[in-house]
Amino acid sequence: MARLQQIDHIFRKDVISLLLQQIINGFMIGCVYALTAMGGTLIYGILRILDIANAAAYVVGAYLGWVIYATTGNLAVAFFLSMALTGAIGVLIQKFIYMPILNKPNIIPIVPLITSVGIFIFTGDFIRLLVGPEIKDFGVVLPFSVINLGKIVINPEWILIIIMTVILLSLLWFVLNKTKLGLAWRATAGDSEIAETMGVNIQKVMALSYVMGYGFASAAGMMIGVLYSSIYPTMGDIPSYKMLAIIVLGGLGNPIGTIAAGLVIGLSETLISAYVGSVIPRDAIAFLVLITILLVKPTGLISRKNSI
Amino acid sequence: MKKRFKTWLLISLVVILGISMFGCSQPAETPAAEEPSSEPAAPAESSEPIRIGFFAPVTGAAASDGKSATQSAELAVKLINDGGGINGRPVELVKYDDGLDTKQAVNIAQKLTTKDNVVAVVSGSYSGPTRVAAPIFQEAGMPMLSAYAIHPDVTGSGDFVFSQSFSGAVQGRAGGVVAVDMLGAKRISILAVDIDFGKTLSEAFTAYVEANGAEIVSVDTFGMPESEFSPVLTKIKETVKPDLLYIACYPSHGTEIARQSKRLGLDVQILGTEGIDSYQFLEVAKEDAEGVIITTNMNRDSESDAVKDYIAGYKAAYNMLPDMVGASTYDAFETLFKVIAEVGTEPVAMRDAIKELKDFETVTGKLIEYAPSRVAVKPVQIQIVKDGEFHYYNEITDDAIIRD
Repeated sequence: MARLQQIDHIFRKDVISLLLQQIINGFMIGCVYALTAMGGTLIYGILRILDIANAAAYVVGAYLGWVIYATTGNLAVAFFLSMALTGAIGVLIQKFIYMPILNKPNIIPIVPLITSVGIFIFTGDFIRLLVGPEIKDFGVVLPFSVINLGKIVINPEWILIIIMTVILLSLLWFVLNKTKLGLAWRATAGDSEIAETMGVNIQKVMALSYVMGYGFASAAGMMIGVLYSSIYPTMGDIPSYKMLAIIVLGGLGNPIGTIAAGLVIGLSETLISAYVGSVIPRDAIAFLVLITILLVKPTGLISRKNSI
Repeated sequence: MKKRFKTWLLISLVVILGISMFGCSQPAETPAAEEPSSEPAAPAESSEPIRIGFFAPVTGAAASDGKSATQSAELAVKLINDGGGINGRPVELVKYDDGLDTKQAVNIAQKLTTKDNVVAVVSGSYSGPTRVAAPIFQEAGMPMLSAYAIHPDVTGSGDFVFSQSFSGAVQGRAGGVVAVDMLGAKRISILAVDIDFGKTLSEAFTAYVEANGAEIVSVDTFGMPESEFSPVLTKIKETVKPDLLYIACYPSHGTEIARQSKRLGLDVQILGTEGIDSYQFLEVAKEDAEGVIITTNMNRDSESDAVKDYIAGYKAAYNMLPDMVGASTYDAFETLFKVIAEVGTEPVAMRDAIKELKDFETVTGKLIEYAPSRVAVKPVQIQIVKDGEFHYYNEITDDAIIRD
């Protein structure tokens, strides 16, 4: 009892409470950003292309999760299945769209980039035609409700998002560091030609990038759907370019950098919104942070040594 | 061989250029017969279709409003045709998608005023696209009715341009009346989307509130794609502590504001606008929408047959409830149909007939008349969310408020 009173006393300091509230909020947003951008990082690491279609995975994941949740009523199943399906779609896209393009001789980098943009635009509008442009209610009922720690209010969705992000990123760390395929990925990201001559199966490595990358993006999309209880076809628009800021800030192809960048941007957006107000559009903050940090450290937050 | 390749490349580039210039934003129906001369006054015995142009943001960020507007437009045309058309002439809808893009809107306006052979146009789009298209219609002397775009530049384009909805100034003022006079608020926070819609409403609201003894204690704006309102709502709850929250925004924002306010324990009255007059708001916000009050033009509890029939007809045709956007669009078509039935399709005659319209019952209330600014003068409906639906709360008929 006394312990709780002690804790309550600390939190009663209004300014600190408010700050902590904003930090938790920003951290949660940062987690989503990190997951959204991770696919782009993994794919850039191997293919050296910026895959905007990762944002399509984000939208598809949200809608698949919505449908699966509506039919099964089980959020865990919805997450897992949606990630698996979206990851599988990613492998198909990689095999039947990107590989044929990248295998052509003398391809200029803008071609796969435009292809990815095309896939993204197509996906958004396809969903609009299939399901309708209206905002659809996600309708999740979480087993726990708002947690009040003194003056700090933590939404149940925030906890879900943070826990899931930790689980997914731990899984990523495990795969990249403790498995043979992960070793192959890191080798290929370091130098793909030498990796290939050493017998690394590039196909499998690429498939891994897409399965994990698109899987994470789809989880992020679903998390946002649950967080705001709404999904709509253009929900991937902002993430599609914001994730570029995050990938570049994170050092282009560096997973740890991506996590750091996602958190930095999530926190910056939240704290600036709360304390500075609406002087600059919220979505511009990501790019302002990017520019500021690149001016100081041109290689991004964490230099691309693939330190995981 | 190289020369031939270059020739083919040149030809294909020209073809692609040609297709992209004329192929984009195709009208839904292609002209049946090209008439080079301008539209003459329609004789009653002619059965030439009456072509009416229409554009709405069917794709892009405002796609749900585009769909709502288009569905209402199609319903209006279908119903008038089911009833035999106007003086025996069927109505044909020439519809476009502007993608909420001003450049597209200009493109569309140019097509409608040159090759599409329409007699009038309804805009089912936002203020951005509408106010760049309006001058083009004005210059072509083609009547254009804006369903729900309320920026003053729309009707400011000239005497062929009319607005079916009261202006942002009127609605903002009406909001002020609700906040200060009906709800007795003294300290008000504003949350507004940073496009024309939000700005116009916010300004007018502020002006009325400050002139009537209450205080605006905070103003926060946000971009159209914003969905994370926790930071600003937390700030409002902890440091501002208003007694009313005025939100000039759209459903995606409104739902999150309503939900997050409840979660944070920010227990203030939320006053919204026609921007959140939508089933989307009700469906997503659910219980958190209870008690939210809005200024709008659609009274769901109206005794008028016109309103009841529209709601029922829309629901039957599309299996969804109509919203303010749809109702305003339907209203615009009703007005056009009435005017065409009376004076035919000669542009100047139509323009004058619209100007002289008085006390016309529409699905968005009684259109008392058009003000000299060509903005419709009609009562402002105040609706409240009760048991998950919009219901009558009050209405404002005071001339000082509803006339600019």
